[in-house]
Amino acid sequence: MAQPLVPELLRTHLAELASRDQRADGRGRWEGRELSLEVGVLDRAEGSARVQMGDTIVFCGIKFQIQTPYPDRPDEGGLMTSAELRPGAGRHIEPGPPSPESIEMSRVVDRGIRESGCIDTKDLCIIPGEKVWQVIIDCFAISDDGNLFDAFGLAAIAALHNATLPGERFDIGEDRKFPVNKTPIMCSYQKVGGRFVYDSNREEEVGGDERIHITLGEGDHVHSLQKGLKGVFTASEFVEIMEAAKVRCSELRKLVDSM
Amino acid sequence: MGYSDVQMIDENGNRVDGRKAGDIRPIEIELGVVPVADGSASMRWGTNYVIASVYGPMEAHPRKIQRQERAVLDVRYNMAPFSTTDRFRPGFNRRSREISKVTSDALESVVLLELYPRSKIRVEIEVICAEAGTRCVGLTAASLALADAGIPMTDMVVSVASGKINGIVVCDLNKEEDNYGAADLPMGVLPNSGELVFLQMDGDLSPSEFQEAWDYNMEAALKIHVLMKEAIAKKYGGGQ
Repeated sequence: MAQPLVPELLRTHLAELASRDQRADGRGRWEGRELSLEVGVLDRAEGSARVQMGDTIVFCGIKFQIQTPYPDRPDEGGLMTSAELRPGAGRHIEPGPPSPESIEMSRVVDRGIRESGCIDTKDLCIIPGEKVWQVIIDCFAISDDGNLFDAFGLAAIAALHNATLPGERFDIGEDRKFPVNKTPIMCSYQKVGGRFVYDSNREEEVGGDERIHITLGEGDHVHSLQKGLKGVFTASEFVEIMEAAKVRCSELRKLVDSM
Repeated sequence: MGYSDVQMIDENGNRVDGRKAGDIRPIEIELGVVPVADGSASMRWGTNYVIASVYGPMEAHPRKIQRQERAVLDVRYNMAPFSTTDRFRPGFNRRSREISKVTSDALESVVLLELYPRSKIRVEIEVICAEAGTRCVGLTAASLALADAGIPMTDMVVSVASGKINGIVVCDLNKEEDNYGAADLPMGVLPNSGELVFLQMDGDLSPSEFQEAWDYNMEAALKIHVLMKEAIAKKYGGGQ
């Protein structure tokens, strides 16, 4: 990603705001941007969602394919997650093969969903050892104003809940609702001006330090963690954001489950 | 059963979706859909859904791509993996490369590039949902996004295709018709001058069929241009 011209000025500005417990756009430390979630928005996808958080906009589409199972797991289907940061989503995004950032995003989203056990991979078996469903989660950024991680994570789980297994198209019985029995939610925190904040926007990302992604499931079970970018953090800082994540994740879980 | 045996038009001349031969699918246009871009537009055209965003004029780098006397256009057409019935493998392929090039050639013909020497204008076309005629939707949406970015052009570009099914020439083929289509003639029209900046064709058309398809496109382009002007007026005000 392209470097801003005046990163030090921005960092100083954000540090000054932080010292007065303020953020550049006037939000509180644990306050997210205005959020909108829609499902079933894409005609060609078997499940889909659109998430808008402030000026960050993403789509997620679910597609299914038939594949041969792995030899060591003959009765289990597959799950694949991709995240595309197209250059249309921001002037800082360069065209070309998938960037390390986009690969990290897709893998973190994937882990949260996979490890929560919200998809029963055995339920995706068609003929053991021969044919299983592969679920593909494609995250696609339309406008990047920061925190694509959470936007992708939320769109992915909402799209999965919205998905239909296209049995008829593949001549494997009738179409049926894709079973997703849990709702893992990811919340991301970034150190900006020396303290962690929730849902950093692009300005805070550029002028901030390390970020921590937490995926929580039912009963605040932890399903994935990721520390990204340069920076150090203390155990007490982690406890603080974990407590904030428990509150926010359960709010967002209610939203997804109500769709 | 051969392609030509499938009846796509009934005895009253109605098409599968109820349109007459010269009718276009419903179109919805929205400007400014990508908040971080300098200009953007989305088009829903039938069940096609395309988002175009524009960045620039900006510094052109690496320097070897700079042109001393004008700006360069950097146009990319891309299909989202969930835009098609079977998942579309992400990444650039030969088809999207060709469409990017002809789209760029069309837009370079209208953008006043000489106003921005040594700079670059990026045009990104994302097909979110594909039905048929995505290249036409992409080119039209790109010209709307350039207008939204305030980049001077001699005219808008309106792109539309006509084709042939069951031996009958029809305008703006939908997905089912496209699967059985015997010809496809996409054109990019400048609605104010009637000039063309984009033209492709494949299939088989007699001279009279070709003329009919051409005329359908010209007629449709003027109708679509009205919708484009309405969308621009809706955001920016002003007369038609």
